[in-house]
Amino acid sequence: MKPAEDIRRQQQESADDHHAPGTLVLALILLASFAIYYFANWKALADVWHVR
Amino acid sequence: MSTITVGAAPVPVDTPAPKRNHAPGQVRICDTTGLPVCTVAERFIRLNAVAAVVFLLVGAICALLVALTRWPAVHLLDPVWYYRLLTAHGLNMLIFWIIFMEIGILYFASTSLLGTRLASKGLAIASFALMAVGALVTNWAVFFTQQADVLMTSYVPLRAHPAFYAGILAFAVGALLGVIDFFATLYIAKRDKTYEGSVPLVTFGATAAAIIAVVTILHGAIALIPAFTWSLGLTEVPDAGWYRIMWWGLGHQSQQINVTAMVSVWYFLGTVTVGAKPLNQAVCRGAFVLYILFINLASAHHILVDPGVGAGWKIWNTSYAMYLAVLASLIHGFTVPASVEVALRKKGHTKGLFGWLAKAPWRNPGFSAFFLSLLIFGFIGGITGVTLGTQQINIIAHNTLRIPGHFHATVVGGTSLAFMGLAYYVVPLIFRREYPLRWLARLQPYLFGGGILLLSMGMSFAGSYGVPRRHWDVEFTGAQFSAGFDAGAHLMLGVLGVGGVVAFIGLLVFILLTVWAVFLGKRIVNRPMTPW
Repeated sequence: MKPAEDIRRQQQESADDHHAPGTLVLALILLASFAIYYFANWKALADVWHVR
Repeated sequence: MSTITVGAAPVPVDTPAPKRNHAPGQVRICDTTGLPVCTVAERFIRLNAVAAVVFLLVGAICALLVALTRWPAVHLLDPVWYYRLLTAHGLNMLIFWIIFMEIGILYFASTSLLGTRLASKGLAIASFALMAVGALVTNWAVFFTQQADVLMTSYVPLRAHPAFYAGILAFAVGALLGVIDFFATLYIAKRDKTYEGSVPLVTFGATAAAIIAVVTILHGAIALIPAFTWSLGLTEVPDAGWYRIMWWGLGHQSQQINVTAMVSVWYFLGTVTVGAKPLNQAVCRGAFVLYILFINLASAHHILVDPGVGAGWKIWNTSYAMYLAVLASLIHGFTVPASVEVALRKKGHTKGLFGWLAKAPWRNPGFSAFFLSLLIFGFIGGITGVTLGTQQINIIAHNTLRIPGHFHATVVGGTSLAFMGLAYYVVPLIFRREYPLRWLARLQPYLFGGGILLLSMGMSFAGSYGVPRRHWDVEFTGAQFSAGFDAGAHLMLGVLGVGGVVAFIGLLVFILLTVWAVFLGKRIVNRPMTPW
């Protein structure tokens, strides 16, 4: 099917269009990476900025 | 199969062909995509693409020399030329290369995807002429007046040659004319009913980019017109704090045009490379609306340590409103790969969680550039961006190399790499020429993406050691007291240098292949392009 036809069909959706378990795992890896990086930075901030 | 429709009106697949509004002989049907191509718009897409690549080359040469100066073991340039080339690098890469490409994308997304003619040839001519003259004048001011070493930010009271500001203003007005032509084209497509239902998602995304562009250009005018009249000696120097706020309405938002256009390109390349279709039209369009409403507020994180604005303003913009734009990126970051996964699973690649990813067309440079762009943008640019944009954390990162480490992952590893992937289709479909040396084209996205990954990581980790951004000599050679950074920082600066060289080679390969294809490539006449 040519892309022009793909683009015309894009506004129709079916229930099986939402089954993407691999992407869900990729998204969870991204969120875990973010959490580690984010809180490591808060730790780095706490190391140089002491609250008394 | 039952069909549900979310968001947009349903379009029966067997509807008759939509109307055309082109003058006789001014439309052709692409043999590869089946899309109508307005031959008038095609000319301007070509012109903008060629200009984009020319300024990309200028910016890339500056980039290599700057990276080889930031690498202390090489430390290539003297301070005057370092700051001069850093100024030219920022302007050519972040403004000229990308916005020329984006105007080409707007013409394509309006005319080909909606099956309409370009609204005004005159506007397109004026737009391109002003942009080209503006970019040339700005480069002339930087390289030849010796009075424009003010970096891209051009913070007052640093004063540049008037031609510096005039060139940027002319470029911005030209870009605005191109955006107006795009909106006018949307209007005549709607009026002439050249498409059925809602506009395609790619056109919707391009429209979001165009709206953000208007806001961006207005900020640029508000900041740069007073700076221009001041440089002519006609007015007093603008207030420095006010200038910084207004300038970042241009400086950061121009990168948000890039993000929005890049996401549109992801959706387009997903469709043409693996036949992906957006996971959910309403959610994807809603995410673009979030960009329009909130992404401009992200510019506030550039002034998080600025004493001129209050804590409430900073916290609202960067700790609340900005996250609504981050939410939009998270939505696209999920729906784009998910749409690829769904498409590949439908083709039978269903083994395990990642069988679809292993079987993806990694030898297609359009696909590899697009997917690497997505990964680099999300994992490196996105994670670092949200973290650095947090007000408290920003205190330990502001003005360090961590900031360029973040935006090289978003704008270069993200936007530029996605636009390179787009070029692997634009040249065969619009210039109707085949790429030569296809094995090298297949390698190029990995070379460039890998180089940028090294460069960004090197910058980010060197910045974590406290290495400042923009600085010519972090060793403070000749200082009376011992200064500089330890071996770990030097290792990371070395990684930055090596990454810069690898990325430059990848970029040079892209330019050489594209120029070769455009001028000497095998013609594509009455046949589809050779599949990647």
